[in-house]
Amino acid sequence: MRFEFQFPDIGEGIHEGIITKWLVNVGDMIKEGDSVAEVETDKVTTEIPSPKTGKIVELRANNGDTIHVGDVFVVIDTEGNAEDVSPEEIKDTLNEKKEIVEEENAGVVGEVIASSEVIAPSDENKENNEDKKDVKKALATPVARKLAKDLGVDINQIVGSGPNGRVMKEDIIKASEKLQVGKQEITLDETIKTASQAQEEKLLIEDEKIERIPLTKIRKTIAEKMTQSRFTIPHTTAMDELDVTELYELRKRYKDSLREEEINLTFMPFIIKATIAVLKQMPEFNSTLDEENDELILKKFYHIGIATDTDRGLMVPVIKDADRLSIVELAKKVDEISNKAKNNQIELKDLKGSSFTITNYGSIGGYYGIPIINYPESAILGVGRIVQKPIIKNDEIVKAWILPLSLSYDHRIIDGASGARFLNMMKELLENPEMLLLKA
Amino acid sequence: MLPVSVPIASQLQHATGIGMANNIKGEKNVVMTYVGDGGTSHGDFHEALNFAAVFNAPVIFIIQNNQYAISTPRKVQTKSKNLAVKAIAYGLPGILVDGNDLFAMYNASKAAVERARNGEGPTLIEAFTYRLGAHTTSDDPTKYREDKEVEEWKKKDPILRLELFLKNKGLIDDKWVENTKAELEKDVTATFEEIEGKSDTEIDDIFKFTYEKMTPQLEEQLSEYKAFLEGGNK
Amino acid sequence: MPNTLNMVQAINQALMEEMNSDETIVVYGEDVGVEGGVFRVTADLQKKYGEKRVFDTPLAESAIVGTAVGMAINGLRPIVEMQFSGFSYPAFNQIISHVARMRNRSRGKYNLPMVIRAPYGGGIRALEHHSESTEALYAQIPGLKVVIPSTPYDAKGLLISAIRDNDPVLFWEPKRIYRAFKQEVPEGTYEIPIGKAKIIQSGEDITVVSWGAMVRDVQKAIEMVKVKDISVELIDLRTIAPIDRESFVESVKKTGRILVVHEAPKTLGVGAEIISIVNEKAFLYLEAPPTRLTGFDTTFPLPRGEQHYIPTPERIAKTIEDVVRY
Repeated sequence: MRFEFQFPDIGEGIHEGIITKWLVNVGDMIKEGDSVAEVETDKVTTEIPSPKTGKIVELRANNGDTIHVGDVFVVIDTEGNAEDVSPEEIKDTLNEKKEIVEEENAGVVGEVIASSEVIAPSDENKENNEDKKDVKKALATPVARKLAKDLGVDINQIVGSGPNGRVMKEDIIKASEKLQVGKQEITLDETIKTASQAQEEKLLIEDEKIERIPLTKIRKTIAEKMTQSRFTIPHTTAMDELDVTELYELRKRYKDSLREEEINLTFMPFIIKATIAVLKQMPEFNSTLDEENDELILKKFYHIGIATDTDRGLMVPVIKDADRLSIVELAKKVDEISNKAKNNQIELKDLKGSSFTITNYGSIGGYYGIPIINYPESAILGVGRIVQKPIIKNDEIVKAWILPLSLSYDHRIIDGASGARFLNMMKELLENPEMLLLKA
Repeated sequence: MLPVSVPIASQLQHATGIGMANNIKGEKNVVMTYVGDGGTSHGDFHEALNFAAVFNAPVIFIIQNNQYAISTPRKVQTKSKNLAVKAIAYGLPGILVDGNDLFAMYNASKAAVERARNGEGPTLIEAFTYRLGAHTTSDDPTKYREDKEVEEWKKKDPILRLELFLKNKGLIDDKWVENTKAELEKDVTATFEEIEGKSDTEIDDIFKFTYEKMTPQLEEQLSEYKAFLEGGNK
Repeated sequence: MPNTLNMVQAINQALMEEMNSDETIVVYGEDVGVEGGVFRVTADLQKKYGEKRVFDTPLAESAIVGTAVGMAINGLRPIVEMQFSGFSYPAFNQIISHVARMRNRSRGKYNLPMVIRAPYGGGIRALEHHSESTEALYAQIPGLKVVIPSTPYDAKGLLISAIRDNDPVLFWEPKRIYRAFKQEVPEGTYEIPIGKAKIIQSGEDITVVSWGAMVRDVQKAIEMVKVKDISVELIDLRTIAPIDRESFVESVKKTGRILVVHEAPKTLGVGAEIISIVNEKAFLYLEAPPTRLTGFDTTFPLPRGEQHYIPTPERIAKTIEDVVRY
């Protein structure tokens, strides 16, 4: 086996040496430790011992040549076979690796590698022609960046509200919410399955036992609106039962005569009138919460939406400026829009712009309800069926006509006490119809 | 005249360098530098004298040997017989002189200056004297020396000796001494008051002598600090 | 006509040419005169300019620097050599107490236009004191300037600036690359300003700051990460004090990430200063924590352990990747 003997680093910072005398010839057998050559260095002349036992196959330098640390200067066949290899020529590796001899690299200590590699010339003073790309990057603290990352929001798309346009945590949260609302991936609580979980379960349903009905546009819209309202507004509902016996009698006295004038006098006009009176006293129920600017917008107009059931679904036509209408005019209006809606003659403009909504499920027969606020309003009044019930009056059981009311409202801006007050005021007006005349 | 050098004996190397430069420039100026007995123990003393001798620098090294380096007596400072003898090791002449004798000091210094001017190289002069007072106002010499010793040296006070000498020669009288003392005291007091009366440090002065031109960092720090001072506490 | 020189030759040429045009320049230190310096950096200077201006001193680093102070006060421009940067410690007192402070102490009356040169840094399989990097120690001292070139061209230009500077400059020469490569170096003098870093190449994903011999290793690492689609902006600091803050601050505003690579020990190294500056000036632009890759907080190891200590291109490449993928 050929062993290429490289000129070893004999220390003292020696980098090269001159062969002053070969102590072996090609073909000689040598033992490990025998000297192969005498080498002169900057500091010392020394004999180089062979690290292997075997036969000298090649001597790669002449007497007087300079060899460098790492150069192969002897080749030894360690198998000891008399090989017929006689070196044709002693290769002069020195010419290849001729270092810049004029340097005479002395380092005192250590080994400074010398090489004739040439690197590219300096481009000092060269104009930096690169266009300074005006990359629009968001300014944000690391904490904000992490938040954006966690919420899956691209921070560079957010307009910052902080100093110098810095993107603040609130900006990120807001952007994230908008994203959420768009995607509707919010889970309310753990008991509600995630969309994906529901998906999985869906797949398990046996196909032949189900029927798939594509949603209509209206249904989809309703679904979206309901979700948006319920998921944005923390709802709470106050309920009460009103003794409207006197109102009942009042209506009974006049409904027939008004029918001749083609006016259908229901309870709704009275309820609307009473509601508006209370709204004037408690304007927060007639408002919208502007989340972006942290402001509550109180409306000075009273457009009452009347939730109406149609065969196409729920619709909410609006009576504009209902405060300007008399009870009889309200009755007419309620009738009009109700019919229009049912006959699909309602126009888009009549379905918009309400500031407060009343939903009368009582007409169908319901009593209790927890109505969902018509976003972006702040409250909704649910009206149940008026029934006769026994009540205690002056310590005695008497018959009375009971009107159940359910008032859902935005608990962010309206506290429980206000909810109760609202219903109390409704009570005052509707239980004593004369109050409607005086206060409404 | 160089400013005060705090690290003991380090100034000796500066003196040697100044002297070496004179040689290189071919100028005949000489350098005079002072160090205390304590300073002779420092490596810088050794290196400075060695260099000065090797390069034949025109430097006069004067050791003010007042016998004490704060509380350390001279005998503890070195085992050498005296301090002047150290010059031999460096190959330059050393003279031991009565430091409290004005004329002796003058002669020795003059000779050394001439030597230096003639290109004969450095000289070491040991001025043998005594520290009558304390090292500083927070030093209590009674802790490490006898009052007897101090009293003995009071008699050798150089100013006293000079005064007696001049009086004997009829060159001055008591009146002159009194007047001169008063004048000098006035001078010193006036200078003291003038300096004390100077206003607070200019902020810029703290910054502008660090480099020839302030670095961006220094400029920023200065302007930030100025803004802080002007803005009060916003 | 430009010549192709290695760093030793470039520095030598700078000294040769400057001494020719300025008679107040003197060069001295241990073995610099007759022998021309243990690395031959001052070769032939004495031959050309004589013993008066180029001479050998007794073995006393403190005095070499101390006398230079005196010489500079007396109107000369001394360029003194510390045989290895690790031997500057005996002169530490003179450097800190006087070299750095003379202008300030004398309120501008005296200034020291001197240069202290020394081979510094590891990688030549030598002992401690012959391999250490203590640029941070000196960089922190007000009144000093510290310069470390990374190429022959820069070495010559920076040394000329250092010589012409009217304040003291420590010129630390990375000995590992003294002869490792050559470069075109113009004949005749030219200055590279002290206090100005160099953007060696532009990139988008991360800013890497380094100096001295490490620059080449970083360049190797940059090639390694190119295949991973990482684009690196490489800045050679060149002047350690005063640091060119703008260079890497503007860069970080673009890339959002920074890695400092230096040989010197980690704790309280120059990397810490750079990162603090990034924190002050580019906090809101950061997309990953500013990072440094450095030597360990140990004494420089003996030769066999050297390759563990100095960050290798592989380690640098990995760290670049880690920071980019934060």
